[in-house]
Amino acid sequence: MADNGYISKKQFIEELRRYQKGSVTRRHFLGVTGLGAATAVLGAAMPALRPSSAFAQGIGDRVVLATWPNYHDTANFDAFTDATGAFVQVNVFGSNEEMLAKLQAGGSGWDVFVPTNYTITTYVAEDLIEPLDVSKLSNYDAGAFDPRFADAGTVDGTLYAVPKNWGTTGFAVNTSHDGGKALTTWKDFFDRTMDDFSGRTMVHDYQLTTIGNALKYFGYSFNSVDPKELADAEKLLIEAKPHLFAISSDYQPAMRSGDAWLTMCWTGDGKQMNSDIPEIHYVLGREGGEIWSDYYAIPKGAPHREAAYALINHMLDPQVNAREVLAHGYPVADSRTNALLPPEILNDPILYPAQELLDALEFGAAATLTDPNRAELLARFKSA
Amino acid sequence: MRFYALSVYLFLYTPIAIIALFSFNAGRHASQFQGFSTQWYGRALKNPFVMDALETSLLVALVSATLASVLGTLAAVGLQGIRGPARAVFDGIIYVAVMIPGIVIGIATLIALVTVFDVLNPWLATLWPAAGQPPSLSMGIGSLIAAHTMFTMALVIIIVRARLGSLEQALTEASADLYATPFGTFRQVTLPLIAPAILAGFLLSFTFSFDDFIIAFFVAGSETTLPIYVFSSIRRGVTPEINAIGTMVMVASLLLLIVAQLVLRRGQRR
Amino acid sequence: MTRRERNWLLVAPAGAWFLVMLVLPLSFVFVFSFGERGPAGGYVPAFTLEQYANLPARWTAFKNTMVLAPLGTLAALLIAYPLAYQLAVRTDPRWKTLLLVLVIVPFWTSILIRSYAWIFILGGQGIPALLAALGIEDVRLIYTPFAVTVGIVYGYLPLMVFPIYVALDRLDKRLLEASSDLGARPFATFWQVTLPLSVPGVATGCMLVFILLMGEFLIPALLGGGKVFFVGNALVDLFLQSRNWAFGSAVAFTLILIMLVTVAIYMRLIARLQVRRDDVAIM
Repeated sequence: MADNGYISKKQFIEELRRYQKGSVTRRHFLGVTGLGAATAVLGAAMPALRPSSAFAQGIGDRVVLATWPNYHDTANFDAFTDATGAFVQVNVFGSNEEMLAKLQAGGSGWDVFVPTNYTITTYVAEDLIEPLDVSKLSNYDAGAFDPRFADAGTVDGTLYAVPKNWGTTGFAVNTSHDGGKALTTWKDFFDRTMDDFSGRTMVHDYQLTTIGNALKYFGYSFNSVDPKELADAEKLLIEAKPHLFAISSDYQPAMRSGDAWLTMCWTGDGKQMNSDIPEIHYVLGREGGEIWSDYYAIPKGAPHREAAYALINHMLDPQVNAREVLAHGYPVADSRTNALLPPEILNDPILYPAQELLDALEFGAAATLTDPNRAELLARFKSA
Repeated sequence: MRFYALSVYLFLYTPIAIIALFSFNAGRHASQFQGFSTQWYGRALKNPFVMDALETSLLVALVSATLASVLGTLAAVGLQGIRGPARAVFDGIIYVAVMIPGIVIGIATLIALVTVFDVLNPWLATLWPAAGQPPSLSMGIGSLIAAHTMFTMALVIIIVRARLGSLEQALTEASADLYATPFGTFRQVTLPLIAPAILAGFLLSFTFSFDDFIIAFFVAGSETTLPIYVFSSIRRGVTPEINAIGTMVMVASLLLLIVAQLVLRRGQRR
Repeated sequence: MTRRERNWLLVAPAGAWFLVMLVLPLSFVFVFSFGERGPAGGYVPAFTLEQYANLPARWTAFKNTMVLAPLGTLAALLIAYPLAYQLAVRTDPRWKTLLLVLVIVPFWTSILIRSYAWIFILGGQGIPALLAALGIEDVRLIYTPFAVTVGIVYGYLPLMVFPIYVALDRLDKRLLEASSDLGARPFATFWQVTLPLSVPGVATGCMLVFILLMGEFLIPALLGGGKVFFVGNALVDLFLQSRNWAFGSAVAFTLILIMLVTVAIYMRLIARLQVRRDDVAIM
């Protein structure tokens, strides 16, 4: 450890334990301990040891973050707490609808939340989201972001949200159970669910992806709100329901324990599971599906606004962001962060699928969030 | 028969044993035991969100159980002397209060208060003098205490009334014959006799409020009670920290019970 | 101050509390159930019966609740009764309190955490793994109606044991002795003496468990994997996902009606069962 003064022996042993127990991926371990290709870059600046300027301003002792499952490296929150004295409470959600419902009911108590691209215009229209004061986000450099994954944060010329990650929605399949016949399409996903994967499949508790991917089965648009097309999707979902293992957006535990073999899946979850259990593959349906980008934003009436800005700024730090990517396996749109990432991440087919697969994907449309038929369809499917 | 009882206890305690066992897990996964450690207890006790949630839960339970016991006892005593349609209406309300599922109470309180606050807040703002931030009503600890008190008050009324009903009318009449004031009769005769029922009502209310998840889920606003904290933690994958919290709460309640038992016994011996 | 005024004064605070926190909220549910969903969710005032007309869309949730709630109550009763009997009638008095307390202790761990322990026990690495070791392959327990029933029985067993125990414990043991002295066989004694005398406890226990089950949300959510759906789950979905307050209010109001009617019928039946036993209160 002579060449790495940034991680103590004790920390190293701890990281090693975590790695052995499988709670972090090999890449995370290599990245954090400075043993891998990322040593030089990442080891040079453990943000934990660098007191943040925010500390002096007194941002309070806490900040509440509403986000998605398996989407952060907890070490980065610990570093934030060490640097600023503010603890991070993480609330995990299963769908954008759930976040919106909580904000609409008022008094959510959140300081930072992570909306997906297609929801931001609705938050602005409903007056639930705070315009961002860029002067408080020194780590935000608009020019560094790929506009495809940053544009949705700006509505009518006002910046409301800054990019977190982007990714795709495909499915993860445990190939030791596919009998040698690979699944490549959403048609396979549903047909095989009703066949050799019966009782072993999970779908999201989320209207956009569960309905969207059922629509792709028929070749319709992922975002369709056409009543006839939705009726087809509903019929398929209800037909498949008796064959499902569960309806839940937190599918990693069941996939890892072997209870489930097939699930709708987001990029990073696919990456995390594949790193630990190589026979779990991440597949994008050939018909298409969703490409998305998530953002950091501050809700109206956030109780700890200064802490919210400090946390967002901390997470936008390219060093921190790079460690996030190594832990969760979602790509970023920030060229500064990508410059810090090892080539095997930047060439990973799970994070960066082949162009012809990407071309078929669609961004979610705002209409799906508020469309009463889609909401009711999912509720009917769940209660069927 | 004995074997049967034993297997029911096994059924009751296997999950508890698993919870306690995994609270000493060195690893962070809830499904594989990776060596013995007490680190999660330390972490839970140091986590300000856990401590805050515990504090909120205790405060809400204490305040709502106290309010429910006092107001419920007063109402039970007052109801003794009320007859006719007014009594029937009140009985009906108590019946509805205990019959309605917690989830409906939560939802009804949420939509009612959110709507009322939406009307009141702009009105408050216009009334408020120009300087300073106008007060803004929102869901929080107040609405949570109010909802818990409503439900537990109904329980207290039922329990205390059952006890009042079984009291000898002759006792209070004798007291009145001896020229005691109504208040004197209440304090010196009725109250000591119904005290065990009030205590039982208080304890039941406290337990209910401390353990309630579903009402709090809807009406607690930004406040986090212990069950809400546990629920949101479960969703991001249980770490043994949650097991440690559960084990600590159970051990603490057991200790309280043992202490209470000892104190009671000593009291009886005197 | 007259006696009458004093009584009203004592009742007033509780009455006001019920008015604001129960009558007012329930009136909102009633009014909202005739409204419409807003464009981005929530509620828009209207007068329409559309929400009630849409109730069949939640038929399965109502059906699940109305099947699994009585079934769960019955299962809890069947498991609780022998235990309560053993504790009240057959146990050395020195151990009674301790054993009874042991039934309640699990209740003090959050139902959330206890249900989570069941996810582990019923999941692939729990009982199915044990069965597989015995040669019984491919058993699926978690996220099934069976798992939900186990969770229900587990969660509410103490509520059933307690009132039955109290009823049996109050029973005069000399009655049992008299019965056997008169030559009745043990089963006849149980059937003709013990069981009828424990009816009030059974009635209370069943009602407590049934009421709680009708509004259950957590156990199906945790152990049903989003597939075993109760009205409670439908309500949470309507308010916290699809944000359809109007339809949610209609579902909630229907649930209230069903409960009030069921419980009223139930109380009438129990009252008829013990028509000559006016010393027994159900609640």
